[in-house]
Formats: sequence, structure tokens, C-alpha cells
Amino acid sequence: MLLTRLKAGGPAIAKQGILVAFILFMIVFSLASDRFLSMDNVMSVLRQSAIIGVMALGVTVVVIGGNLDLSVGSMLSFATVLVVDLHDKIGPEMAIPVMVFATLCLGAINGFLIGFLRLNSLIVTLGMLSAIQGLVLIYSGGQNVDIVDQSGTWFRFFGRGAILGIATPIIIFALLALIIHVVMSMTPFGRKVYAVGGNPTASVFSGIPRSRVVFATYLISALCVAVAAIILGSRVMGSQNNVGQGYELQVLAAVILGGTSLLGGSGSIIRTVLGVLMLAFIQNGLILMGQPYYTQWLVTWAVIIIAVWLDVAAKRGRLFSPIA
Amino acid sequence: MSRRITSLLATSAAIALAGAANADTVRIGITQNNVGIDSYQTTYERAFIEAADANDDVEVIVLDAGGDVARQISQMQDLIQQQVDAIIIWPTDGQALVPAVRNAHRAGIPVVVTNSNIAEAGLEFIAAFSGPNNIQQGIYSAEMMCEALDGEGQIVQVTGMPGYTTAIERQQGFDDRLAELCPDVVQLDIQPGDWNRERAQRTMETFLTRFDNIDGVYSGDDNMGVGALNAAIDAGRAEGMVFIGATNFAVGYDAMARGEYWGSVYQSPVDDARAALQTALDVLAGEDVPLLNYFDTPKITQDNMDEFDRPVF
Repeated sequence: MLLTRLKAGGPAIAKQGILVAFILFMIVFSLASDRFLSMDNVMSVLRQSAIIGVMALGVTVVVIGGNLDLSVGSMLSFATVLVVDLHDKIGPEMAIPVMVFATLCLGAINGFLIGFLRLNSLIVTLGMLSAIQGLVLIYSGGQNVDIVDQSGTWFRFFGRGAILGIATPIIIFALLALIIHVVMSMTPFGRKVYAVGGNPTASVFSGIPRSRVVFATYLISALCVAVAAIILGSRVMGSQNNVGQGYELQVLAAVILGGTSLLGGSGSIIRTVLGVLMLAFIQNGLILMGQPYYTQWLVTWAVIIIAVWLDVAAKRGRLFSPIA
Repeated sequence: MSRRITSLLATSAAIALAGAANADTVRIGITQNNVGIDSYQTTYERAFIEAADANDDVEVIVLDAGGDVARQISQMQDLIQQQVDAIIIWPTDGQALVPAVRNAHRAGIPVVVTNSNIAEAGLEFIAAFSGPNNIQQGIYSAEMMCEALDGEGQIVQVTGMPGYTTAIERQQGFDDRLAELCPDVVQLDIQPGDWNRERAQRTMETFLTRFDNIDGVYSGDDNMGVGALNAAIDAGRAEGMVFIGATNFAVGYDAMARGEYWGSVYQSPVDDARAALQTALDVLAGEDVPLLNYFDTPKITQDNMDEFDRPVF
């Protein structure tokens, strides 16, 4: 089999099934549309992917720690509504810290229930998904919020600004990815997250404070949501109550596409970034080719499943499971 | 969920009042789709209660399904049990509510459907529908687009959530009328914006990459329209581009005032709520009510916007 030989020939390449798939798709799309790889389009897709991307970084840490976070979608609605609403009431320099603190509190609730009370993360965060959406509706009374003076506020920098010609969302995404990558791969804390996700029992016996580590992963996830909300609020200059609805699935799709195991203990930030970019480029490429939306849904999920399959197949060196 | 508690309290109060009230008062129960999810529905509920309060002969029981089909079905059963004189329903799902509407019909309680119509199979069980005409809104938008472009140009369309009746009808009205009225306006592509401003902004950014010449943008509502406008402004291409929406939102109204947005269709939740109550009262008064009662949703443009209040949503 090709893959067997691939593995025998270069185990390093075989482990990068996602990267191979990513490059393949980029080639196909660039042949189909001459604008696909134009500088403008690449920059535009990178900028578009930043919101989902930043959230995916946090969720990756949670998933490596052996848990799930489905509450990020409504947490994004909460954080965006809050920061946009407070922007005109107390000014951006106060609105941002208040929103970050409130969002961290939500993350702390997740972390407490899952880390210290050891409740199932699927149930807790699914519950929080609805509970937080309810909270948003109570807060806003169902009204959309908007920033009145859109051109006069420095808040616009996060979503619409640029540094040296590179859009700010891209820079925020890249910096945050770098920081979390370093934390996860080079610090004791990162190793503890992998250990807790890989084998919770063994990690406890090794003296790792499992509850505190899990708690911290949810704080990181909430912090990422807060950053995403700043980008979103600044880019749109307003917010609907349900603006983040469904984002949790896109985020999870990117994390899975990046090859992070839902069982915990393995995965990488860099590969999540690849997953995020791949999803963003697929959606962009299909619109550039003039494909209708249902094709996009179909192709996106087909790609996710094929990519995950290729990844698993590359790791085990054969296309089908040895134990069928 | 404070609002729901308030309306439940209002409900019990209404029931208590209804017992004490004289025999001439009519009791009307309303089960709404999802109050609090957006400003439109929030304002609708407020306007409905105000309109009912203003009429001494009406007692209302105000319920909200919270977007949950099962809850709405049981609310329908409750209202039938309470033997209200009429039921107004804003269906959470046009198809799934047909049996519940049929039960009310069999119990001899007239049902008025408000805002979004029930599936065709249920039409024989309702007394009347009251709400906006989405197809007409699409038609108005097409006429404005045609006028703004002088009958010639290239446009793109950002639609609402795929599969939603409102999105489909607004697109259908627009597409048909545009083809008929000005065949020289070419639609380059149609893609969804999912009623989400950020999503619409992304869709428009891709359109801007793909097409060098875009003269106009039609959006399923102003929320998405402003997302598209933001994308065009960011790309430095908004100058001379015509933006038209199928429902006017406050953000669209403001953009219109700044001269960045050409026009939209004005749909007032207050008119919507009043029309629903009036239709129910007409039905109860034994008047000959047409099956489909559309309230007027006029065109709003930069020229006539002074005649309209800034939308509440």
C-alpha cells in the first residue's frame, strides 16, 4: 500500500497527513481559481479565520487535557455583546477589562465543575451553552447592540486595523498561537496538561494537581474567547445576541481536523492552526469557484472526515483498521 | 428569563382578571416563537401587551415557547384546555405545529397565525394569517435596486439562513421581480449570510476578491447588509456601490442617514403585533376576514426616511 510505503520511507512525512491534505487542497483550488492564491485573497482568508482560530487555540488546550468545551459559542456571544454594549457606556479602556474578567468567571465555572467536582465536561459545557445564551438574553433584553461612533474609536484597531500592512486579527491570532504553542510544548504546565489528558489516574499518582490543571485549561479557553470577542466586536462594530451560535462546532471541527485526539493527551497547537486555515480556505475556495452553499457544507464535512481518516491511516500505516 | 416570569405572572393575573371581568370580554391566548432572542420579537411582545391593555374588552394570556416546538405544542394544549376564545400563534416550526392547530380547530377555537405562516397542510385549520409579505418585500427590494442602478449593472446577493421560509421568499420575490423588471441587471452570485453580520461580511469579502465590478448588493436584511457594507468600506470599494436590504434595521437606518446605504423595506414589530390582535378580534366579531392578512411594509430610502422612526431592532 502507498501509505505503508510512505510510512516506511518517511515516518516524519506520514505523521503529517493533515499537512499533505492541506497542500493538496491548496493546489486543487489554485488551479480552479486564479484568484485563490492572490495576496489579497490569502490575507482576507487569514483575517477571516482569526476569530474561529483564536477560539480553537483555547479549545485545543482543553481537549488535550481530556475534556470538551462546547460552551465557547455562546460564551463568544456573551463576551461580544458585553464588550460592545459597555464600549459606549464606560468607554473601551474599561469595557475590555470588565468583559475579560466576566468571561474568565464563566470559564472558572466550567473549570470548577469539571476540574474540582469532576463532572462530565460534555454535560457541563452543553449545559453552559444554553445557560450562557440565556444570560446574554437577560442582559441585553433581546436588543442588538451597536457602537455608535464607529470611525472615531480606537477599539476599531483590533478588528479593522493593520500593522505594517498586516491586518491586526492575523497578528493577534499568530502571536497567541505562538504563545500557547510555547506554553504547551516547552513548559511544565504544558506537559501536565498532556499528562492529565493522557492518563488522569497516572497523573495524579505522579503528583500532578489534576483538578487545578483542568481548571486552568478552561480559564485559557475563556481567555481565548475573550480575545476572539474583541476581534469580532471591533470588526463588526455591533453584536447580535446569538452571534456565536454554531461557532462551537466550527471550532471543534478545526480542532479535530488538526488531529487533536478527542480522548485527550495528544494534539498540537500548530496543527490546530492548520485545521483552522484549511477550513477557512475550503469555504473561501468554494465560494470563489461559485459553488452553492450546500456544496460547501457537503465538501467541508467530507474533507474533515477524509482528512481525519488519512491522518489515522498514516499513523497506523494502513488504510483500514487492523482489527476489523 | 425574567421576561418569561413576568409574562407568566401576567398570565395568572390575566386569568384571575378574566374570571372577574364581565361576560363581554374576550380571552385571547398567544404563544410566541422565542421572545428575547431578538429585538423584533421583544418589541412585538411589548406592543402586543400594550395593544391589549388599551382595549378594555380584551384579556390576553401571553406565552412564549422559547423556540421549543414541544413546549409550544403543550402551550397550545393548555390554551385549548382553558377554553380561550381565540389563539394567536407564532409558529416555532410551520410543519410540526399543524396537528396542534388542528386540535384547536376541532375544539372550536379559531387560530390566527402571526408573522410566519404555518405549512400549507395547516391552512385549512386556521381562521387567518397576519404578518408581513416576504415575497412583496423581495419585490420592493428588486424595484429599488432597479431604480438605483438605472436598470443596468452587476449585483451580488447575500441571503438569510438557508432553508428558512423568510429567506427563501425574500430571495424568490427579488429574483423574479428583478428578472422581469430589468433583465440587464445581472446577478453574479447568491450566497448565504445566515442572518449573521460577521458571516455576511466574510461572504462579501470573498465576493470582492472574486468580482472586479460589483455595482449593487442585495441582502436579506440590513444586519447582513451592513456587514457587506463594512467589507466594501474596508476594501475601499464602497463608493458608488448600491446597498439594499429586505428589512430595515437600526444599523441600516443609521447607514442610510450617513448616505452609505441606499434603501430597505420598513417592517414594524408594533404594526405586526397590532395587526395580529386586530385580526383575531375581527375573526371573533364574525367579520369576513381574508385568509392572508398582510400588513403594509413600505419602501424606505434615503429620500423618505424622515417619515419613519428609527427601528427598535
